[in-house]
Amino acid sequence: MKKILIVDDALTVRLYHRQLMETLGFEVGEAENGIEALERGLSEHFDLFLVDVNMPKMDGYRLVEEMRQEPSLAATPVIMISTEESEQDREKAYLSGANFYVVKPADVSELQTYATLLAGGA
Amino acid sequence: MGLRKRAVEDELETVVLERGYETLLLALRSESALNRRDAVRELSAYPQAVTDLLNTLTSEPEHAVREALLGALQQLGGEPVVAGLITLLRSEDAVLRNGAIEVLQTMPEGVALHMLELLNDRDSDVRIFAIDILQQLAHPQAPEWLLSVLKDETHINVVSTAVDRLAEVGRAEMVPELMAIKQRFPKEAYLAFAVDLACRRIEEV
Repeated sequence: MKKILIVDDALTVRLYHRQLMETLGFEVGEAENGIEALERGLSEHFDLFLVDVNMPKMDGYRLVEEMRQEPSLAATPVIMISTEESEQDREKAYLSGANFYVVKPADVSELQTYATLLAGGA
Repeated sequence: MGLRKRAVEDELETVVLERGYETLLLALRSESALNRRDAVRELSAYPQAVTDLLNTLTSEPEHAVREALLGALQQLGGEPVVAGLITLLRSEDAVLRNGAIEVLQTMPEGVALHMLELLNDRDSDVRIFAIDILQQLAHPQAPEWLLSVLKDETHINVVSTAVDRLAEVGRAEMVPELMAIKQRFPKEAYLAFAVDLACRRIEEV
């Protein structure tokens, strides 16, 4: 079973994304901010990170930059999800190392499709 | 004689303090991050340093110095600090923005004066950041401000953020307003999920 780490400071968003991903058959882990996500990612394997941009302590951009510096996380796929819809924000996400950028509210089938593709199945 | 000596001592102390202040301002531009951080910490004793500290915050590249700057501004407090940090909500720098939000959350009385203006800002991101401030703002009006977002806001992400926050601070009498959101946005699956969860959590309390 493939594993996804959902990284978001909002409990509601984590629970919603958990429900969407578990429906597809993924095993799901959660982290409330970038620091917690980095710690979890370094201690256990995840096939995909679903990362919010605006979080306290360490935001999504910095988390992905840090992941790309870590040999064990450098190739882990990341979907970044944000309320910010400008081209500048999208570009910033890709420059930080994200594989895909989704604007909230995410289209459910689009999110599920990309999660499955990037994780290499569920 | 004693009075004259005291006056001279006061004058000398003022001179030393003023010289110290100017030196500390210069140290904010030092090449050494350690020197800059130490200067920031000392400047937290000078209310007149607020503008310089805010200006430095936007250009400071080192995380540790930024943390010290935010700490110094938090310690100094007051309207100029609140107003200065509010301008950072428009920054493209997420770390800076989050830092400003965290400090503003500790200044309920100062932030309260700006909250309605922030919740009605023309930029939806600023309205979301205002709700983020409310998440940890110890102010008795916080639930009412969030409720006003439910009634008047049209941007789905701002409404979603408010619903999420009301799950933490909402009261039973707010449940009908929350349920009304599902009717206003009938096609939004996330919002329906968030409203149901918020209502359940409020009713559990």
